[in-house]
Amino acid sequence: MITDIPIKDIPMKRIAYFCAYTPIPIIDAAGYIPYRVLPITQAQDQAGHLLHDNMCPHIKRILDRAIANDLPDLYGAIFINSCDAMRRLSDAWQIVRPDDHTCIIDLPVDNSSLSIEYLSYEFDQCSQKISQWTNKEIFDVHLQESIYKMNELTKTLQMIQKRFITQHPKGGSVLMQELYNDISTSSLSNGLTKSNSFLKAIDNIPESSRVPIYLFGNVLPDPESFQLFEDCGATIVNDDLCTGSRLFHPIHCNEQHHIMQCLAQSYLLKPLCARTIHSPDPNHMATQLIQKVQSCQARGVIGHTIKFCDPYLARLPAIRDALKKEKIPFLLLEGDCTLRSIGQQRTRIEAFIEML
Amino acid sequence: MMFDYFNSLEQGLIKKINEQPNEPNPRKKYALAVAQLGKKLYSEDNSIAWCGVTAPFDLLSAMGITSCFVEFIGSMLASTGAIEQLLLEAEHAGYASDTCGYHRSVIGAAQKGLMPVPDILIATSSPCSGGIAAIENLSRIYQKPLFILTIPQENSQSAITYLANQIKEMVAFVTYHTGKKLSHDALMASIYHSNKVRDILCDVFELAQTVPSPADSNRLKDLVIVMALFSGSSFAVEVAQAYKDEFTYRINNHISGIKDEKIRLMWIQNRIQYKNSLIRLLEDEFNAVIVIDELNDIIWPPIDPDNPFEGLAQRAISIPFNGPVTRRIHHLQHLAKAYQIHGAINPCHWGCRQGTGSRGLIAEGFKKIGIPVLNLEVDCVDPRNFAFGQLKTRLEAFIEMIT
Repeated sequence: MITDIPIKDIPMKRIAYFCAYTPIPIIDAAGYIPYRVLPITQAQDQAGHLLHDNMCPHIKRILDRAIANDLPDLYGAIFINSCDAMRRLSDAWQIVRPDDHTCIIDLPVDNSSLSIEYLSYEFDQCSQKISQWTNKEIFDVHLQESIYKMNELTKTLQMIQKRFITQHPKGGSVLMQELYNDISTSSLSNGLTKSNSFLKAIDNIPESSRVPIYLFGNVLPDPESFQLFEDCGATIVNDDLCTGSRLFHPIHCNEQHHIMQCLAQSYLLKPLCARTIHSPDPNHMATQLIQKVQSCQARGVIGHTIKFCDPYLARLPAIRDALKKEKIPFLLLEGDCTLRSIGQQRTRIEAFIEML
Repeated sequence: MMFDYFNSLEQGLIKKINEQPNEPNPRKKYALAVAQLGKKLYSEDNSIAWCGVTAPFDLLSAMGITSCFVEFIGSMLASTGAIEQLLLEAEHAGYASDTCGYHRSVIGAAQKGLMPVPDILIATSSPCSGGIAAIENLSRIYQKPLFILTIPQENSQSAITYLANQIKEMVAFVTYHTGKKLSHDALMASIYHSNKVRDILCDVFELAQTVPSPADSNRLKDLVIVMALFSGSSFAVEVAQAYKDEFTYRINNHISGIKDEKIRLMWIQNRIQYKNSLIRLLEDEFNAVIVIDELNDIIWPPIDPDNPFEGLAQRAISIPFNGPVTRRIHHLQHLAKAYQIHGAINPCHWGCRQGTGSRGLIAEGFKKIGIPVLNLEVDCVDPRNFAFGQLKTRLEAFIEMIT
């Protein structure tokens, strides 16, 4: 029932993660594959007996995978205390898979200097924990190497994204999501190789004349959802999703700060998920969104949020107002991590694209 | 509207308390403190801070800031019956009905101009993601400065230091935006009262464990979470002492909270805030009494006056909703044993991912100690979908099973 990459091709062991704030380079530096558990599964819906019906479907689908053992061999799992749902996933995981090595990183809500310092401590604790599991120390040199790979990977993905903005390759967003899913379940080295090959292949993809759309939200990993957008006449030129562009971002290192501090700073200052607050400007998320939409010359915005995601639900009115003010057309979709839920919205998507 | 409500509540309570000068009257004194806080919030001549649940209210009070967690207003709006229009207002403005009603109602009240305009806002990451988002929205609506307190999950020294340093930064933020400074003497007085309240409430909760309970189901309703709002005041000490005096008297004279107590119950998380007859049904028809509310417990050590910021930090971190659910389950199991309960009621507040989200995990935890749990599907502040008939049937079946 494993729905993503074939296991037998990969000799390294995996450490599972679930949130885009996970310090992937630490897992990579420890010699493990950072394996993102995506909410794509044929497993039965069983999570409800542990978590309430009003919980995030992303979390519940992941838990369904754990209950049905729809997972590859895992050496451990790293959780992020990023929101209530992620916290509850960590709690439920301990019951479903009590023998796993687990670690939960306490993620501050804002990006103040105190918070960066605390997160660097949390990252360090996580690194030490993984070292204890494996009986192998993670040296700075390993971490630097992994950060280098992460930065190269990010650079390549950004180059692909730039090409998308100008070229609009046909079926590009479907391929891009497949790539994201692939690299988020691969080692950084493999991810880099795959993304470089993808970059080289873009020129061979014919251009499409579809309407350029910017897509934002939380979790939308199924490539078939992107196929649906394409079928409705849209091409996704850029995204802000935690299963997309928000997963890989540059890590800025310098000699003045310890490597964990640099890592913490980069994670807290990267494009924000709705759960992170930029207190000087409560409208920050909407402002950032408009800048991104304008820079990729999208003609409209589709927001896709998972049901019961409080951080996104709370920010949607401000986002809607800001987009309206800028006269940027906006369509909001709500999903539950099944293709069925987004498939039901086909008519709305078609009407939106036609309007543009 | 709200000022008039709190003002008339205050006058009525003062009159009633004065009519019985020799009675401890704890619940009336508690309600008086609530009314006076509400009146201050709505009087338009105080510096106001809208906060998250775990903000250090005694510290803010020492700085001359009238502060309150926004959920308090949500519960007030529900108890006065004014909430439905405000929920609709928020929903029309695009706030999803799937989110917490406490937060939706204050957003609706803010949109309608029914909330006092704050000078500052202080959001706290605990207990929930929804609360912090609501305060960010209020900051956007009012265009007022926002400060964030990340409440760490672990009760470790590094976590305490991190939060203590944030609280120090918060003091500077408050001073910068309101001009109010923190004097050492005011802080010490506030900490003294908070510690005193803490000590007396420890005694109160020990007395409350007596079988039969000296309290009826509503005697201690919402006590600890709301007392936090005024625990830095001398009146809070008086309220706590009134509870202690009343319970001591009742126990010494064999007066129980309800007549012929048969079933002892725990109420998980928070109460249904609008008027309903569930509690009366339990007491009148089944001789069942809520002897303990989950949040009515003292789980933090006294605050060291020589190191107040760390003490305040430790208190915020200690709440059972913070950290892994196992901490909360252990706390519930401890309370279940201490109060000798027969069953627990979990009103699964719709929209609460933090508390209700872990419903199944909590039920598992109770199962381990042989305590049955009744999960009720309700919204604790939104009465629109309250189905008394269905809930009554479920309560009856639950009580039948226990007996």
